[in-house]
Amino acid sequence: MLEADVEVDRREFTLRAAIRVAPGERLALFGPSGAGKTTLLEVIAGLVPPRRGRVVLAGRVLTSTDPPRRAVPSWQRRVGLLRQDPGIFPHLSVRANLAYAPAADPGGAELAELAGQFGLSGLLAAMPARLSGGQAHRVALGRLLLARCDALLLDEPYTGLDASLRRSLTGLVSGLVTDRQIPSVLVAHELADAQAFADRLAVIDQGVLLQDGPPAEVVLRPASRRVAELVGYLGFVPVRRPGAVRPDGGDLVAGIHPERVTAGAHPDRGVVLTGIIVGGRPSGAVWEADLLIGTAEVTCRLPDRPARADGDLVVTALDPPCFGADGAAVPEPGRDRLAWPVQVSA
Amino acid sequence: MSGGADREDPPGPRSPPGGAAGAARRIRSVSGLASVIGAGVIWIALLGPVITLLAHLSAHEIASSLTAPGALDPLVTSLESGGVTVGVLLLVATPLAWMLARGTLPFPRVWETGVLCSLLLPPLVIGLVLVFMVGPFSPIGEVIGRVHLSATNTFLALVIAEVYESAPYYVLGAQAAFAAVDPRLEQQAGLLGDRPRRVFRRVTLPLAAPGLAMALAVSWARAMGAFGAVIIIAYHPFGLPLQIYTTLQETGLASALPFALVLLVVALPLPLAAYTWSARARGRRRG
Repeated sequence: MLEADVEVDRREFTLRAAIRVAPGERLALFGPSGAGKTTLLEVIAGLVPPRRGRVVLAGRVLTSTDPPRRAVPSWQRRVGLLRQDPGIFPHLSVRANLAYAPAADPGGAELAELAGQFGLSGLLAAMPARLSGGQAHRVALGRLLLARCDALLLDEPYTGLDASLRRSLTGLVSGLVTDRQIPSVLVAHELADAQAFADRLAVIDQGVLLQDGPPAEVVLRPASRRVAELVGYLGFVPVRRPGAVRPDGGDLVAGIHPERVTAGAHPDRGVVLTGIIVGGRPSGAVWEADLLIGTAEVTCRLPDRPARADGDLVVTALDPPCFGADGAAVPEPGRDRLAWPVQVSA
Repeated sequence: MSGGADREDPPGPRSPPGGAAGAARRIRSVSGLASVIGAGVIWIALLGPVITLLAHLSAHEIASSLTAPGALDPLVTSLESGGVTVGVLLLVATPLAWMLARGTLPFPRVWETGVLCSLLLPPLVIGLVLVFMVGPFSPIGEVIGRVHLSATNTFLALVIAEVYESAPYYVLGAQAAFAAVDPRLEQQAGLLGDRPRRVFRRVTLPLAAPGLAMALAVSWARAMGAFGAVIIIAYHPFGLPLQIYTTLQETGLASALPFALVLLVVALPLPLAAYTWSARARGRRRG
């Protein structure tokens, strides 16, 4: 079990975050650049001292600012950190890199087995300059595993690698984390990377942990309008509950995700929206249409190009999250009186 | 790399960078040819003194100069004092260079300015100031005198003068060598379980070694050729540069030249070896 509850002062804001990761669990920290994700990893690894806080790994107190104070140096933490730059030692062969940690055995069966599993058997004598980006990452990962770390921290490790490499490396890491039953934390600013890896997703913005839950829940039921924006809801349309007395609809907005929109009116499946087409473009295999709904502009990705390039279009936002005036999500908007809110006409 | 970044090296043994095929590829264009000729002119101009030195020496002159009684004593003195100087620099200036490179000292600009000041002082001025600093009537000179040593016209004085003349070159070179080591690699080594001293030995030092070797070679050359400070504070014991000067004064140009050759031959191998070794180490790292 990895537990961290820390406060770190940064230039623009103070990072306040508490996370718990069970052995074998994969947590993804997701948020925009500069949200404090990397700082949290560096505090856990002992590279950055927190102003206040406590880090406990597998029963060992690594950091504590309350008495009895503790600050275990990074070389005694047994925390593995893999960054975007894999940090391969350029003066050592692949074998010496893999066996760098004092705990590793350069001639051992474990190294040979791991090299085979990672597709590095033929490269053990090579110097790192000969390695491709994906190979270098596998060496860095294997090195962490041979160091017998008790936790695995991954700081955007796949940035700059192509999609198929990302997939195979993600699969490799997921399997190893499960096999070895160590807690792992991935920092990502791409939602797809975070979802592919994690069984739990934590959203951080401006140093604050906004939401923490299963990836599907965070993406489909964001707890606040800010989380919705971060996970890809691009448009927010004013709506009102059916039968609401106030004509302004009580300041409710529905979050519209471009990929959770279907053409036509389906009042049983979500909020029906009518808008004016103001733009459109092909995007992969689908058509991306910009709709002006009242004063809100909404992008939706539809399987078919609308018959007309301008004019009205009726679409349905499927099971959209709705937010009150304070930005907090309204629980189960669709179950409320068994009817979906309706669009406020401009 | 010698070729373009987009050029894939053929598999198997590589042709050495200086190979005939490589040379042909490099001078294929007119501007390429012009740049080779230009580089050649500059190179020969820089080598001019060495070429002239060799052209003006005959085997007979060399033999007669070097076989005179006691003719090679200054060589031994220079080698010994140069060796001690380099040793002192390694022990004392390496940690300073490391701290400067890592910015662990408070007010780093102040420290760097200090090093630059000692670089800017002409050797002659260093010698003059050293007399007041470590001479027999200075506080430091008194301390040295108490252990029955003297820092004027002794081997100790020679080493002190050589250290002051060569130290800035070593500190600046070593600082650059340490600064070129990516701190993230040191951080990674720490996370893998190495305490800082082991990180220094296993990562920092090997990665900085080629640069350190070059810095040491330069400071060795400075120490061997130290003259300005030496002539003021350590006229005795004679090192090679002073021998050349006094021979010039006493018997003229021709008989001084063989000792210049000795200085060149003796001082050159270490920098050359350091250069070759560091080039090879860098090449090995590139794969």
